[in-house]
Amino acid sequence: MSTSTQHGESGARAPGRPEGRGPSRGGGLARVGSTVLRAVLTQRVLLLVVLLVLVLGFFLNLSARNYLAAPFDGRYLGLALINLPPLVMLALAELLVITSGRGGIDLSVGAIVSLTGMVFGLAHGQWGWPLVPAVLLAAAFGALCGAVNGGLVAYLGFPPLITTLATYYAFSSLAIVITSQQPISTAPIQDLYVLARAVPVVGDVALPLSLLVFLLPTVVVVWLLLARTAWGRRVYAIGTNDVAAEWSGIDVRRTRFLAFTAAGLISGLVAVVTTAQFASARPDAGTAGNGLALPAITIAVLGGVAITGGIGRVSGVVLAALLVVWLNAGILLAVAGNTGTQLQLLALGAVLVAAALLNGLAVRRYGAVT
Amino acid sequence: MSAAAPAPPRGSAPRRAAGGGRVLPFPVTGQELVLVGVVAVLWVVLGLATPAFLSSGSIVPLLVATAPIALIGIGVTVVIISGGIDVSVGSIVLVCAAVAATAMTASGLPLVPVLLLSVAVGGLLGLVNGVLVAYGRVHAIIITFGTLNIFRFVGLQVFGGSTIDGIPPVLAVFGRGEAGRTLGVPHSFLLVAVVAALAWVALRHTAGGRHYYAIGGDAQAARLAGIAVRPRVLLAYVLTGLLTGLAACFVIAQGTSTLAPNVGLGLELSAIAAVVIGGTSITGGRGSVLGTVLGALLVQTVASGIIQLGWPSQLSSLFIGVFIIVAVGVDLLRQRRRRSA
Amino acid sequence: MADAHVPQGQEPYRLEMTGISKSFGAVRAVRSGELRVRAGTVHALVGENGAGKSTMIKILAGAEQPDTGEVRVDGRRAAVGSTAGAIDLGVATVYQEPQLFPDLTVAENVFLGREVRRRGRVDWAAQNARVVELLELIGLPTSYATSPVRELSIAERQQVSIAKALGGEARILVLDEPSAILTDAEIEVLFTVVRRLVATGVSVVYISHRLDELFTIASEVTVMRDGETVGSYAIEDLTVRRLVELMVGGVPVEATGRSDVPDAPPLLRLEGLSAGERLTDLDLAVRPGEVLTLYGLVGCGAAEVAEVVYGVRRPTAGRVLVDGEPVQPRSPRHARALGIGLVPPDRKLQGSFSFQSIAFNIAAGNLPLLSRAGVWVDRARERRVAREAIDRLSVKTPDERTAISAMSGGNAQKVVLARQLVERPRVLVLAEPTQGVDVGAKEEIHRIVRGIAEEGSAVLVVTTDLGEAIRLSDRLVVLRAGRAVADFGPGASQADVLAAAAGETAGAAA
Repeated sequence: MSTSTQHGESGARAPGRPEGRGPSRGGGLARVGSTVLRAVLTQRVLLLVVLLVLVLGFFLNLSARNYLAAPFDGRYLGLALINLPPLVMLALAELLVITSGRGGIDLSVGAIVSLTGMVFGLAHGQWGWPLVPAVLLAAAFGALCGAVNGGLVAYLGFPPLITTLATYYAFSSLAIVITSQQPISTAPIQDLYVLARAVPVVGDVALPLSLLVFLLPTVVVVWLLLARTAWGRRVYAIGTNDVAAEWSGIDVRRTRFLAFTAAGLISGLVAVVTTAQFASARPDAGTAGNGLALPAITIAVLGGVAITGGIGRVSGVVLAALLVVWLNAGILLAVAGNTGTQLQLLALGAVLVAAALLNGLAVRRYGAVT
Repeated sequence: MSAAAPAPPRGSAPRRAAGGGRVLPFPVTGQELVLVGVVAVLWVVLGLATPAFLSSGSIVPLLVATAPIALIGIGVTVVIISGGIDVSVGSIVLVCAAVAATAMTASGLPLVPVLLLSVAVGGLLGLVNGVLVAYGRVHAIIITFGTLNIFRFVGLQVFGGSTIDGIPPVLAVFGRGEAGRTLGVPHSFLLVAVVAALAWVALRHTAGGRHYYAIGGDAQAARLAGIAVRPRVLLAYVLTGLLTGLAACFVIAQGTSTLAPNVGLGLELSAIAAVVIGGTSITGGRGSVLGTVLGALLVQTVASGIIQLGWPSQLSSLFIGVFIIVAVGVDLLRQRRRRSA
Repeated sequence: MADAHVPQGQEPYRLEMTGISKSFGAVRAVRSGELRVRAGTVHALVGENGAGKSTMIKILAGAEQPDTGEVRVDGRRAAVGSTAGAIDLGVATVYQEPQLFPDLTVAENVFLGREVRRRGRVDWAAQNARVVELLELIGLPTSYATSPVRELSIAERQQVSIAKALGGEARILVLDEPSAILTDAEIEVLFTVVRRLVATGVSVVYISHRLDELFTIASEVTVMRDGETVGSYAIEDLTVRRLVELMVGGVPVEATGRSDVPDAPPLLRLEGLSAGERLTDLDLAVRPGEVLTLYGLVGCGAAEVAEVVYGVRRPTAGRVLVDGEPVQPRSPRHARALGIGLVPPDRKLQGSFSFQSIAFNIAAGNLPLLSRAGVWVDRARERRVAREAIDRLSVKTPDERTAISAMSGGNAQKVVLARQLVERPRVLVLAEPTQGVDVGAKEEIHRIVRGIAEEGSAVLVVTTDLGEAIRLSDRLVVLRAGRAVADFGPGASQADVLAAAAGETAGAAA
């Protein structure tokens, strides 16, 4: 999707390799091997594709030999994608914020989901707002929450980690207090479950409606924003070097403010998705358990988003989320019951640490990673 | 030219002459004094609003509940001063609590071995974090996000999918009950005070402790000054693990005889909140454990006060959020004034 | 002041560096370096940028190993294998930027990494007693021992650095341009410290571009030029003028400036510009087609002029006029909107987006121009602009996708320059345009800058590089201590310009 060469979106050639030397120049298998290794290590998208193929191959193999509880086939893979929209959308929110640099991170996205979900639930489920205005309200309210983060971070110079920790507390508290802990599941909200239903696409493969209605447009818009707009260039610029960005005439603060606001807006849309999935607006929708922020940040980092800013692409994030979702789906079929769910945690953590260590290795060995 | 006869200070000498008594800047920072004031005011206000608040029936549980957060916070303070962060402590609590509770229920392990076991497990998990952060050259937040998930897996495996029931009252000495206090002071909080005092002395008066501030200020320059940065950093995470292991025992002691697999969930955020409210700079190089203990006390005071007032308990999170923003904002203002001065 | 001078020839040599040579790749930084410093004296080491001073100092400090030559301390041959080895020999080096930890106290900074311990704890009393001695020696209030370093001024921090260097019982103290960032009053304090140290028998190697101050503090001077030691002289035998001539040698710089710039109303004017203590009442006018260089030593106030025009510093008095209209740039963004192009002094920190491509680096400063409706980046145009810039500035790269961090200093600087040339600026301000750039690229960049002027822009170059100042300028203004002290036409003599900047009093103006 975005693997084409865009120089803006960190398509720059790695340092230490200024001449475009290809494998054709050298001779022998060893040389080809080292070139492939280098490509896989330095290009995150390639690494993720390889991992994805390995995971799918592994489980398809198990499936063919009847080791799994149910067939690991196209239909199952399609159904598993019901978990994809919130994960990818919030990871894209983190992509925007982390890429904008200066320690950018947003711990509050899950809390924004909870709070906006309640606002949406009230509007659509109790005040009788029609769906479209209610969704717009959710987007606007999420953006407002993001703007609070953005204002504190970009204009007042608060550290992002702590700021969003504070707003995480504040938003999640408000979400619970706003209806005295009561979820909203009136008829209009229950009707939203249609969004979580699967619609047939090819053969017996069906995709959840929310994936088509919310996820795809978000992916396309975020990709367009980062890869095709002037603002996207500014985000990469301030993330790479915000002093140089200031000297280049870029409005650093406004750009960073908008990154946080956009992250909030996306979180607001996720609130609609999760409300539909649960058929209920729950005050802990984005904060139950470990919350939604941690997996989102994990996916973003796994997708090659550099925690130091300036590097990250939509394709990497989407692939990382697919990898995690399908890996989880496979684990559920391979290992029954609680252990399966718990193994998903292990897989997520191990893959994240391994990817990060690999990143460090690649940087040391080849100079840079994209 | 001897230390006994220092030259008269000239110009705008910042503080009184050295060589004699004071060897470091004033031991209590402005932020800590403010915190003491805020906690005192809150206690008075809450005492007036709900007379029950200042009774021992209310203060003791408050101190008991403060203990684990303060204890973990002390470790996290050292980590943050060194320029890192540890978001995996909640999962470490889960693992340690599960192991300790299982040991007590299944093998009938007595008090001291349970404590040692829990602390050892915590130290081991801290070692994993420390090795990865210090030698993996990856940002601490990514590593500990990863180990947060991995440790959680380990902990849930120990739980085996259900609660752990029938935990014997081995740890009652750290509990809310009568067995948990001496002269009205909870043992857990006493232990926290001792650990905090030790950590305070170590951070302030040992070379190794001072090196954490140098590392957090500028790790590269610290290395050039001859400080062994990596072993130091490693030690900070191990220390956090050890303290978290102890805190896990407090958590078990506070609860009933049943331990649920959601134990420790979100504790990392409470600990970080206490550290930041206590005035430790999230970017490293500055901070103190005294502030962290006060920060934890403030957080618990608010939580307890809100319950006493009959407000929805979840409202306390809102106040924690506001406190964090205010604490960081005040710190930013002070830095800005310092820079312009 | 003469009382600080030790009559020469009586003291034995504390330090002897002889036959030193050192190459970095193909560049011979030092060809034949000689430096002999007597015990208990201040010995100045002077030379133009690139003369080889800093390489000599790095060899002495153990940071670099010489290709040939030997170092003797107190007559004994010394193997300075590492920085630690140098410290063991009693050599301490204080660099221009103090390497201190602002949140630790002065005493802690002095003893960091080698704390005095007793029973596991830091022995504050012993440490402070030693620090108090050091503070008395360097003339800081002893109460500073327990102050966090952030409460100290820049000058005081530098004194702390000296104390730190002395903490290890140094016998040879190297001060690398200590006065560059200090005010006159602070320099006086520094000199007092240096004299006290010398009185205790320490030998000081003093590097400075401010030649006038050497006559106050040094007893001997070693002059370096193009990697060679020209000679060592007793300070009594020299004048600023003579010193300058020794530094620049006989070869004149080939000037490219012209004296026939068409007369036109100035595009950039500065009227009565002041900025704090660093810059006082500067008047300047740059006409279209003219290259005006502002030359001076580090700390002379020229950098502040650039910052005011860039919009990163507010002037305390005076105003900036572009094309006759008074404007006050509020930010770099505002300055660019006014048609001012700006090339910042620190390429890595302020100029480049390191791991991004050439095209990205050029586009980043021109996004309104390169986007449709201010929203969508015109990628074809972005590419074209980058390719044109690569051709026009002859940037050596296979294509526009190369990361700027993979390029040489000269090529990277061309890219930073190209960012300002997508739209021809009315006024172009360049600060240190060729710092860290090899000789070939330097000439190319100079040619490019001349070309920009000839197309009708007003060009202001702020530089501390003497050769560059003379080669480029149609007019050359020399700043010293925040004031314009001399004004030259094209092809000024190096000795005249340097003498004016370094503080020869009276009659410097051409």
